[in-house]
Amino acid sequence: MIDPFTVPFMGRALAEIALLALICGPISVFVFVRRLSFVSDALTHTVFPGVVIGFAAAGIEGIFVGALVAGVITALVLTVLTNRARLSDDAATAVLLTAMFSAGVVLVSRRSSYTSDLTSFLFGRLLTVTTRQLAETAVLAVVILAGLLVVARALVFRSFDPEGAAAAGFRVGWLDLWLNVLLALVVVAAVRAVGTILVVALLIVPAAAARMVSDRLAVMAGAGAVLVLAAGYAGLLLSWTASLRYGVSLTSASAVVLLLVLFYLLLIPVRWLRSGRSRRELVG
Amino acid sequence: MDRPGLELRYSGVSIGYQGRPVLTGVDLELRAGQRLALVGPNGAGKSTLIKSMLGLAEVLGGTARVPARTDTGYVPQSGALDADFPVSVRQVVMMGRYRRLGWWRPVRSADRAAVAEALDRVGLADRARHRFGLLSGGQRQRVLLARAIVAQPALLLLDEPFNGVDAVSQEAIVTVLRELSAAGAALVLSTHDLGVARDLADLVCLVNGRQQAVGTPGETLTAESLRRTYGSGAIDLADGRMVLVEP
Amino acid sequence: MNWWDDVLHRAVAEVILIGALAGMIGVHVVMRRLSFFTMALTHATFPGVVAASIIGVNLLVGGVATGAVIAIGVAVLARRRGQDAAAATGVLLSGGFALGAALVATQSGFSRDLSSFLVGSILTVSAADLVVTAVVLAVVAVVLLAGARPLLFVGFDPHGARAAGLSTTGWDLLLLLTIQLVVVAVVPAVGTILALSLIVAPAAAARLWSDRLPVITGLAVVFAILSGLAGLYASARWNVAAGASISLTATAVLAVSWPARWLVRWSSARWTPVPST
Repeated sequence: MIDPFTVPFMGRALAEIALLALICGPISVFVFVRRLSFVSDALTHTVFPGVVIGFAAAGIEGIFVGALVAGVITALVLTVLTNRARLSDDAATAVLLTAMFSAGVVLVSRRSSYTSDLTSFLFGRLLTVTTRQLAETAVLAVVILAGLLVVARALVFRSFDPEGAAAAGFRVGWLDLWLNVLLALVVVAAVRAVGTILVVALLIVPAAAARMVSDRLAVMAGAGAVLVLAAGYAGLLLSWTASLRYGVSLTSASAVVLLLVLFYLLLIPVRWLRSGRSRRELVG
Repeated sequence: MDRPGLELRYSGVSIGYQGRPVLTGVDLELRAGQRLALVGPNGAGKSTLIKSMLGLAEVLGGTARVPARTDTGYVPQSGALDADFPVSVRQVVMMGRYRRLGWWRPVRSADRAAVAEALDRVGLADRARHRFGLLSGGQRQRVLLARAIVAQPALLLLDEPFNGVDAVSQEAIVTVLRELSAAGAALVLSTHDLGVARDLADLVCLVNGRQQAVGTPGETLTAESLRRTYGSGAIDLADGRMVLVEP
Repeated sequence: MNWWDDVLHRAVAEVILIGALAGMIGVHVVMRRLSFFTMALTHATFPGVVAASIIGVNLLVGGVATGAVIAIGVAVLARRRGQDAAAATGVLLSGGFALGAALVATQSGFSRDLSSFLVGSILTVSAADLVVTAVVLAVVAVVLLAGARPLLFVGFDPHGARAAGLSTTGWDLLLLLTIQLVVVAVVPAVGTILALSLIVAPAAAARLWSDRLPVITGLAVVFAILSGLAGLYASARWNVAAGASISLTATAVLAVSWPARWLVRWSSARWTPVPST
């Protein structure tokens, strides 16, 4: 059960997931209460043209910057569009997502073969995470957590009661932009290692699953992180075993996502039990 | 608690959003300890007037003097809030202290004491740890009131605080409001309920797109002014009473 | 028939049929704020399609089966509004796609299938596919036409509709299943992401030009078909991916409608209502 992880690349893969667990536990709570699931999904698609342009302009090194620019632009445009509420944010997000992704596809399709790029974009290269990437993720963790800490109180107030928060003097628009940019940062930095599918799952599932067992935001963040770590460990183990013992190539990213979703499904009855047991829920 | 510096003065003010006026001709003055009721049909501009006192609606004309934002407390309608939100009653009231705390100061015993005292005043001390969404509409409204008073504001603004509120909660809210104004705070509340306006307010302001009247309840709550404000929504009953319906 | 033998002719026919489908259902998707749900559906039909191709059953059946499961799941969860519904949709989207990808990985030809799922392959449309799309169009048109009034009532005022005796759960479920049917028909041609674009953008653009449901629907269909044709043309002319070109054209129509509409309003100096107090 531990043996596979003594192999260096497996150990690094687990370490990467552990760092992502630290980041995504707390941030998924905000995605949950602010209903940013669609925005998170959108971000993973809108960075695509940035990746393509960045790669075309500056090779491998250009990918990060390209994705970052695309991500920040998305965060900005979505914040403006949803605050003005001319178009429903649902439709605005959908259109922005598809437009940017299509632009990326158009750019990429001018080359002869792009299927392998697409695969690595979707699934990442968890098993080829380098020590340097680990270090970068660690730095990201510090930046994101610090960024969240600074706005935590204001963001909770705003998420619960935007009118009251505005009345109390909090700048709702800036808070929204800050969070959207933090999300973009997580997506951009994590996509290279774990791919878009896993990033989306890491932003959405932990808090949704943790909500089944708790009513307290801080507990949700912690439980979410634990669930990610558990899914990471089990998922890596699963794809290792499937590959070595049964010759089935199951990408680790898929395995981790499926396990996370499984945890969510398994915890649903817990929520039903809790709400059935008593009408009063002591929260603290 | 005397607040000699309180200034709420509107002269010939028109208010709106994005350059378009919603309410015009506002002339009123409120002193410490006074209670003002804003009365008018839906869409008349009551909420907009309250929002302008918070700086959330534009003053398009005239002069408006309002107290500093940090001295103003706001109680929105509880119906707009998400009942599933994972937050406790105590945490909601603590939000009223956030502005003062900023993001870095930890919650201290003074803050906790203030929250407990506010909850006690609205009669919900025993529900402190319950999830906000599990309370009834009236109880939630009381929690929002506690959140506003925990910062000890000089001016308290309430947006239709009695909408869909049960009698017990209404009683509790009215008691707290009287205590607050006796202690020197000024109150502005918007309401449909003429009975509340008559019994609770020192000043009544009738609005319907324009200010129709302002003065004591006796001066303003006359058949003629009400008819002007509510238009076809004001129906005279044969015995001299009046019924207000939404047109 | 000789005309149908040409790849491009079939693609044109498919684009027209799909445009009509997307436009019709798009109006409801935009009105009821179901864009995210539709996105989740496009990802959730993936495992069904893959499983069907592995088992050897018709792909459409596989897609419809898993899509139906998701639609029912969301209809059940949508009764609890708020954070849980949005999160559940996200979970289903992630899980569905990962499941499909995992299934695909057990076969060979991994990347190619994935690509065509995401991006579509309108140029490999067969005559049989055309027939299927035409049938789906007929079914969906009948459902939306016959159910227009109840769907509008339930969408606008669920409590009032329930009080009037309508089954909100039933009608919601019908709508979700209809969306699901459209998704299964449209995705093979233009891919998942781009199917969303064709469904949402023309309808959103149409909404800017009118407040009346029949007019919005008609406009949405016209915009969608025009985007499809223009996109196909651009794809043939400049040798770029067809699905993506269609999607970009649809977005362009929306992007142009916005300022165009504002200009029309400004020049006719019509009074627009202000946010209510």
